[in-house]
Parts: sequence; C-alpha cells; structure tokens
Amino acid sequence: MPNLNINGRNMSVEAANDTPLLWVIREQLQMTGTKFGCGAGLCGACTVHLNGEAVRSCQTSVSDAVGKKITTIEGLSAKGDHPLQKAWVAEQVPQCGYCQSGQIMQAAALLSKNTNPTKEEVVAHMDGNLCRCMTYSRIQKAIMRAASDMRTASATGSERRAT
Amino acid sequence: MNKHVKNLAPETTDLSRRSFLVGTAATGLVLGYAGSGIDQALAAPAPANFEPSVWYSIAPDGLVTVTCGKADMGQHVASTMAQIVAEELGASWKDMRVQLASNDPKFNDPVLGAQITGGSWSTMMNFDAMSRAGAAGRIALTEAAATAMGVPASELVVRASTISHPKSKKSMSFADVVKSGKATKTFTADDLKAIKLKTADQYTMIGVSVPQLDIPLKVNGTAKYGIDVMLPGMVYGALVTPPVRYGATVKSVDDSAAKKVPGFIKAVTLDDKTTTTTGWVVAVANTYANAKKAAEALKISYDGGPNAKLSSESLFAEAKRLQGLSDSGEFFVKDGDPNAAFGSAAKVLEADYTTNINIHAPMEPMNATAEFKGDILHIYSGNQFATRSGAIAAGAAGIDPKFVVMHQMWLGGGFGRRLDADMMVPAVQAAKATGKPVKVIYTRENDMTMDFSRPLTFQKIKAGVDGDGKIVALSHDVVSAWPTQRWGIPDFLTPSVDKKGPLDSFTVNGSDFFYTVPNHYVRAIKNEMAHNATPSGQLRSVAPGWTFWAVESMIDEIAHATGKDPAQLRISLLDGKGKNDGGAQRLRNTLLAAMGLAGYGTKQLPKGEGMGVACVSSQERATASWTACVAHVAVAPSGEVTVKKLTVATDVGTQVNPDGIRAQVEGAALWGMSLALFEKATLKDGGIEQTNFDTYTPLRMSQLPEVAVNVIANGEKATGVGEPAVTVVAPAIGNAVFNAVGARVRGLPITAEAVKAAMKA
Repeated sequence: MPNLNINGRNMSVEAANDTPLLWVIREQLQMTGTKFGCGAGLCGACTVHLNGEAVRSCQTSVSDAVGKKITTIEGLSAKGDHPLQKAWVAEQVPQCGYCQSGQIMQAAALLSKNTNPTKEEVVAHMDGNLCRCMTYSRIQKAIMRAASDMRTASATGSERRAT
Repeated sequence: MNKHVKNLAPETTDLSRRSFLVGTAATGLVLGYAGSGIDQALAAPAPANFEPSVWYSIAPDGLVTVTCGKADMGQHVASTMAQIVAEELGASWKDMRVQLASNDPKFNDPVLGAQITGGSWSTMMNFDAMSRAGAAGRIALTEAAATAMGVPASELVVRASTISHPKSKKSMSFADVVKSGKATKTFTADDLKAIKLKTADQYTMIGVSVPQLDIPLKVNGTAKYGIDVMLPGMVYGALVTPPVRYGATVKSVDDSAAKKVPGFIKAVTLDDKTTTTTGWVVAVANTYANAKKAAEALKISYDGGPNAKLSSESLFAEAKRLQGLSDSGEFFVKDGDPNAAFGSAAKVLEADYTTNINIHAPMEPMNATAEFKGDILHIYSGNQFATRSGAIAAGAAGIDPKFVVMHQMWLGGGFGRRLDADMMVPAVQAAKATGKPVKVIYTRENDMTMDFSRPLTFQKIKAGVDGDGKIVALSHDVVSAWPTQRWGIPDFLTPSVDKKGPLDSFTVNGSDFFYTVPNHYVRAIKNEMAHNATPSGQLRSVAPGWTFWAVESMIDEIAHATGKDPAQLRISLLDGKGKNDGGAQRLRNTLLAAMGLAGYGTKQLPKGEGMGVACVSSQERATASWTACVAHVAVAPSGEVTVKKLTVATDVGTQVNPDGIRAQVEGAALWGMSLALFEKATLKDGGIEQTNFDTYTPLRMSQLPEVAVNVIANGEKATGVGEPAVTVVAPAIGNAVFNAVGARVRGLPITAEAVKAAMKA
C-alpha cells in the first residue's frame, strides 16, 4: 500500500504501482478538483504539483509520487485565496471551468519561481493547457494580475521585515 | 428559435394555463408555477420531493435560491437567470444563489416546453418569465410588509433585499418578511401578464457586470461536474467502442484476460434499443483504472456493418452526386425564380464550398452515473437536453421515462455535444447488469471517435449579377447529414416551402439571409450516407457555422468580380426592403460598427496582409443576434495564415451581464477561428481517424490573436450570445486571406497547403 503525502497530509492508498496518480487522487482520496481530460498528457486538465513542479497526474504513476510532496487545487491555498485564485475571480476567467484547476496549478508553478514573467514566458509555460471555452486572454490577464499582486505583497512583506 | 419548434413534451408549461403561486412554507417563501389548480396548490403549499415546482425560493435567512432549468456549460446562464429575477425582485446580488433543476417538467423552458439548452435561446426565451417571477415575488413581499408595518403598499420602496417606508423610516428585510410567514398571494396567468415590468431606465441589475455566481466554485475545485459524482457502493465502467463510428455489431467478447484484472466485475455488451449506439461494450470494475485495464484486456470481434468502408472522400462524392440531381432535397427558401433570372444575368458565378467533420471535444469527456433505487432510475450527468436524454435512459433501461430522475450537474463544456444521450446507455445497462451504481467515463479516444460531430457539408452557390453589378438571383444547395432529424422529434423539423415534407432547418439556417435578392432558392439536401455513417449533432452555432461560410464567401467573390468593395456591397444588399425590414438595418449598422472599430479601409496594410469582412444573422432568422467581423490576417509565402486581429461587433438588443457577454462573444469568435484554421476530423474505413488532442487540435494560447469585442445594446429585446460569433469568423478570415494574397479558399479548415495552391492558381 503506497503512502502518499498530499496537501500536507500522509495518506496510504490501495492501488497498484502503475495506477495513474490522477485516479487515486480523484477516486480514493475523493479530491475531484483535479480533472481527467485526455489521459495522454496533451491537455493539462489533470495538472498537480510534485515537489512544486507542475506535472500531468494522468501520466504520473502512484509509485513515482511516493516520497514526494503532492499538491492539488484543494491544497494550493488554505481558503481558496492564492493570488492566482483571487485573480481568476477578479478577471472572471472560468466559463465551464473544467480546465481551470489545471490552468491554475500550471500557472502557480510558474509564479512560484518567477513573479515577473513576460507575456512570452506565460504563453510558453501555459501552451500545454487546453481551454475549450477559449478563455486564454483572461487566463493571461489573471496570471499577470496575480504576479503583480505577489510582487506587491512581497515588497510590502520585505518592508515590514525591514522595519 | 425556429418558429416551428414548440411544445415537445405532452405536458407543457404553457403559462396561460398555469397560476403563479406565492405562499410561505416553514422552510421559506416558495415561488413557482403551480402544476394544477390554485386551490389544490394552496392546500399543499410545500412542494413534494419530485415536483418542487419552483423557479426560486427565499429562505428565512433572506437567501434567494434560483433554480435554473437550463444547462450551465460555462455561459453562466444560471447566474443570468438569477440576475433577471433579482432585478424585478429587488434582491441584493450578495443574497442570490443558484441551483440546477432536475428533469421535472415543471422546470421546462416556458417557450420551448421542454428542457433543452441550445440555439443561444435561453436568455431571450426566459427573460420575460424570470422577470415576471421576480416581480411577483416583490409584490407579494411588499404587500405582506405593508400589512406588518401598517402602511400603504404603494408607499414602500424595495431595494437591496429590503422593503422600506421612507415616511416613517420603518423597514423590513426580505428575511423578516419571510420569517413572519405573512407573504401569501396567488397570481393567475392574467395577473402575471398584467404586472408592469420595469423599463430599461429603471434597471439597476440588468446591464451590470455582477460577478458570475458559479465562478468561485470553479477556482477552488469544488464545482461538481458529472464526472465528479460519487455514490455509495459505486463502481466504474470503461468503454470499448468499435473501430466503425456507427453500424458495427459485436460478434463475440472474450473476457478471459480481463478476468485477471483485479477488481473486474463484468463486461456488458450493450443492447441498445434506442439505436443511439452500436457495438459498444462496457467493462465494469471497482475503480476506473481497473475498468480501463479490463477494457483493454477484452478481446472483441466485430462485424463492421454497412459503413465500414466509408471515408470522408466517399461522403463528399455522394454529396456532389446528390447536389447534381434536379429532384434532390426540399426547398427552405423559394423566392422568385433564380433559374430564369440566371438566363438574363450579365454574369453568373458558381462555387462549391465545403466543411469537414468537426468534433466537439469538451474538456470534460462524456460520462454518466446511473443508479436504480426502488422504482426510480437516477441519472447523474451534465446534459443539455434532459427531456430527451431522460427518455433515452428509460429506453436503455426498458422502463417508462416518468421513472427517470435526471440530476443535473455543471457541464465541463457542452457546445451542443451534451444534447445527446449516448452516455446514458452504457451507464444504465451496466448498472442494470451489475445491480450497482455505475459511473461510465469515456476515454478521450471514445469521446472523439464517437462524437455526434458537426457534419461534413457540401454547398453549391450560383449567383447571377445584372449589368449594374446588382445580384438578381442566387441559388444555394446545402448537402449534409441531418442532425436534428436524428432526434426523432417532429416538432423540431420545418415544413419545406415546396411541401415535399419536413426538412431539418438546422442544416440550412442562415441561408435565409437578410440581403435583398429578388430571386433566391435554398435547397436542403440530406446526405443519407453521411447521416448513417457519421450520426451528426449540433455543434456550437450549428448550420450558420457552414451556411454563412458559403454565403459570406460568395458575396465577397461577387464583390471582387464586379469591382466593388465587399463591405459596401453588403451594405447595399442590406437595404431593409420587404421581409428584411428591421433586421437588415440592424445588421448593416453592426457591420458599420465593426468596420469603424477595425479601421477597415483606412490604412495601407503591408504586403501579405489583408482585412476581410463578414456579417451574419445567426442563429436563426427569428432569433438573430446581428454580428459582424473584420478579420486582419497575415499570410506567409508558405500559405500559412496568422490571424492578427478579430474585431467583432454584435447587436444583442439588451445586455444582462456585459462582461459575461464579452466572454461568450470572445470565446465564440475563437471557436470560429479554431474551426476555420485548426480543426479537422476525417472518416476512414468508417471510423473517425483523430483520437486525441495530438491530431485533433483546437486553438491553444500561443495561437491567440488580438480580439476586440463591441457589444451593441440598443434597447431591443435580449438575444443570444453563445454562438453567433462562431459563424462570422471563418468567412471573414477567408475573405481576408483573399485580400491579402489573392487566394480564394473554399474549404474549411483553411490550411496552408490550400492557401498556397490557391495563390498559384
């Protein structure tokens, strides 16, 4: 029985080693925010973080996730208030919303390393995530807004630390 | 809506035969249309579990929950319904909540008489009913508050969920009134009709971009889609679909290897009396991963059936053959006599236009969960046509449709795909065979190869122009599968003008344009071969997605052949004469708006770049949103087309949520671009060749052009916004390509190869 560390909790699951992480998260752990889209790593709907890196959970086996920190949309923030989630609401990004957990997780991996991305960097980082409702321009705006909010917060934070 | 679409369900919610009921129950104030007489309704004010009969309720805490009978697939229609109710009710937006309706006929669309979501119809057809529902609630609450306060109701002001009496400074919240239990009033149909609704200058909610109520759920993973349903004791089904799209049969199933998969329960070969599916097998197991493993381990042999050798090429060849026959099809439009007029025309142009098969591919693959509980079959699935899908589920189960409860979920994309009910069949039959609740999830490969696709179409347009360059005649043949006829609901078909029988107007809508052309024929020709081999469906925008491709390309071709500016030619054709009065002028104004916004004709573009225009009356003549587009493209010597900018203007009459409309129009325009340039499915050996997003390739972020959307709200009645902008983009791009490099491409998608070949020609 593999042991998984997911959203800060250790959980043992009952699944063969080659089971895609996606289905373990959705069915056994009943965290359904992570979505199944293509099963082939072509759409990004199932994106989660493994040790902070965005990965496609449909292409990641349970055994590959053992010993690593898994983060899903449910664990991205305590109250759904990650700067990206707030920006997604402010820009009214989602239409059907199905791809948006994956979009947000993909974007979060970028902003965790770079809070000042160029538009080109955003496009290059996000191009593997399909949105059939075609909300791409709002996704871009929301990422830029969240990045800006994070820079402001970090500047304010360092000022506080300085004083 | 098509004017022939009416009352699908035997029991309709015809407003004239119903009463609007307002009464207080212990749980709160419930407002709805009583299913029977008022007396009976009053005797039982608390609705029964299966027939709640409500559009909205107000709880003692003041929260207003609107029940949305339309499928919410990202157009935020639930929020829109709540916004319309809130306007007349006088509720504060922060107090509004939404829930999704079951398939109870009481939630049927007040105009359509069924639960179906499509056609960009929802707002226009529900605006009045939701407004009156809201107003009736306000009146009931106000009268109760007047009694409680001891003041005349006419002196009360309702705002932000509060009823106040300015003279005495008394006030009551909606919550206070509901808690008092004093709000009781019934409205007859005549009372409802007599309610004086607000005028546009009194609106405080309509026209405001309030935040969509479903969005918070969609950024934290809590929105529940069909695929997210979890029932106690539930098991999972994975499909094996045959290599042939339709008509295959299962000869044998060897499950010996599947039996070795842990958790495997059984393989169920579907016996589909509804003829929705052919040759499908579902492998059931304790988890989806195991079900999929088991499905892969099944050894199934098929008889490919009558369509096993067909290809896109054979469907096109058959379409051309049918078009060439003088007695094919039925007339949708028959004005004057084009054939006589061609004889005296100074110039006759003729061209063939084609579109390939297109796949809906919503991000949430098709799925359904079925559970038999006592006599009742419960279905959990995001679906656009609960009325018909419930009947298909019943047919798959062999029970009466009245025993089916459809639990609506958020839809992870619809685009017309979820009007169909194929996913009900494996879920129902697997649940029946195993005695357990079963969730069936399509793989992306199942989803793509078994799509009820946008049909392959072949169109011929012949146009006659007189010596002054005026279009005197136009004949237009449209050959396709007939998606709506497949539903088997006569009311969705349209009598042909030559009385040859009903035709599927959802294959020709749009061809009955608002241009003044004295001699005009449109023939709807059913491609029976395509109809059988590729059961088609309604893909976002339906017929106008191909008819305007042909019409708006041909208008451009005529302009160039007669030395006119394509936009100016359109303006002259939109003279508003006769039956085109009203619509033509609105379309002309919209085109002018788009031209102005794009700077059409005002700038010298670099070599290889061009602007093209198109304007459309999508979805249908009777339900049009007037939409125009100017596409600005750059064409490389290789023929590759880059869209630099799409400028879209759309006249929607009244806008409920401006930001929501912009989101829909932008998404629709990008769909139009994706269909125009990137999406193509092909049939080979009876099967769809594209199986996933590596070969079927909708637009990605890196292909995003600049999109400018201008919404014209001129105070006319609210129209739809989900689809029209899809239809205007492909012809605008095609026309822009011609203006850029002189290449006329007449087939969708517009590929680099086709552009390059046309450049040489």
